Amino acid sequence: MTSTFTTESPIGATPSELIDHLTQWVVEVRHRGSTGTGILWGKSGMVLTNAHCVRDGEDPQIVTSLGTRRGRLLAVAGDDDLAAISVPGLAGPSLNIRDANALKTGELLFAYGHPLGVPNALSMGVLHAVVRHRNGEAKFVVADVRLAPGNSGGPLVDAKGQLVGINHMVANGLGVAIPATTVARFVDQVRAARAA
Amino acid sequence: MASNTAPLSLVDLSSQLSSTVERASQYVVAIRARRRIPSSGIIWRDGLIVSASHTVRRDGRVPVTLPSGDSVEATVIARDPETDLVVLRADGLPAPASRAESNESSVGSLALAVGRPGRATTASFGIVSAVIDGWRSHQGRRIDGVLRLDLSVYDGFSGGPLVSASGGVIGLNNSALAGGAAAALPTAVIDSVVDDLLSRGHVSRPYLGVAVHPVTLASSTVSQLQLDRADGLVVLSVADDTPAERAGILVGDVLLEITGTPLTKPANLYDALLATKAGEPVSIRLVRGDKTATLAVTPIDRNSGGE
Repeated sequence: MTSTFTTESPIGATPSELIDHLTQWVVEVRHRGSTGTGILWGKSGMVLTNAHCVRDGEDPQIVTSLGTRRGRLLAVAGDDDLAAISVPGLAGPSLNIRDANALKTGELLFAYGHPLGVPNALSMGVLHAVVRHRNGEAKFVVADVRLAPGNSGGPLVDAKGQLVGINHMVANGLGVAIPATTVARFVDQVRAARAA
Repeated sequence: MASNTAPLSLVDLSSQLSSTVERASQYVVAIRARRRIPSSGIIWRDGLIVSASHTVRRDGRVPVTLPSGDSVEATVIARDPETDLVVLRADGLPAPASRAESNESSVGSLALAVGRPGRATTASFGIVSAVIDGWRSHQGRRIDGVLRLDLSVYDGFSGGPLVSASGGVIGLNNSALAGGAAAALPTAVIDSVVDDLLSRGHVSRPYLGVAVHPVTLASSTVSQLQLDRADGLVVLSVADDTPAERAGILVGDVLLEITGTPLTKPANLYDALLATKAGEPVSIRLVRGDKTATLAVTPIDRNSGGE
């Protein structure tokens, strides 16, 4: 499968274009019969998901439109509920990351994943609030978007398809996501550890 | 299928929604008059804030956080228990909310609920799922145009605005109106309640002093009295020192009409009374025993005086 997708052109102009974009980098993470969602992290050969979607020391299966592969669990950051899985040979488009500090309350956000095992489901909502650490850094992106088990580990994106966060949990009916910048920092750490 | 409309641009819609919230946040305040998280309020007119009465647990002076982040003291000046609306006055408020066009609150209209349960504004997004005419408050008042919403309301949203996609206020969110489900009091009702509260200190509620229940008269009575219908309201009780007692209405009377309006359910009586003015006599036609009679009754304003 060759992709003509480029991240420089504006995407997500229509809902179907947004979905075309997402299907190129959103995967399914299967572990012991439970299903979560994962993000193919550009050309890094890694899938990012929630730590609670995998178990330390066990290798999950990664399902894409091309089939199922065994991934290898590389690293887990329990505090941030993040996990990195190595899946050699898989690559997606390079991702645009949206800083939570640039988000505006009320702007459209989309979650994409496999809620309750339903594959490739899109849900739409708006930014509710950004929860911050004491130092002002974004801790969670809170969205008024309907999530269910299975959305965990999947992307929260803006109307342009830029990654805003990784869906982490539901609290009071609101979707709570780990900011994309936190995920990117975790990816850098994992890469550095592998290179060392 | 030919269509002239451009495909929906998510980016345009998204920026429209966020700028709507940005504009709305300029007239949404946080009211700190209960434990835990604050509730929201709308700057409704110059120097006036409206909110959901049940969220403002104190009378007198309450701290309010303005969109600028500054805190001011507002004073509770009036409440209407039936619509659960409270009006507060404060100095130094920014400009009041703009109103939406009336065609922006139909079933299916996009709507944003905006709250300020603290310093920052929060939002949720959905559609107007129903417009309910004839919604009844606990005390029986008929309220037209209550909005049921297909959107999530979160802690601290009550008292805040429901805004249209173009940014005007459609109503005031109040989950207490519909037993915890998302609902909003429409702008027109807020304006009329605020007018009453400012001019009189309360909302006028013409009152008779009877409790009634629907009944169907025996067909022999209907034919003997040559009535055009068998339904009426039987009087179950008459309160002391009320217009009904003064007019001579008795327990067991069956009320047929008030100023020509047929009475087949208690709601008809409430509605007919609301259309009257307290202090002006109305005529009630009733059946007592084997006769009909017409009595003149002068409703009083239940909410004046007292309390």
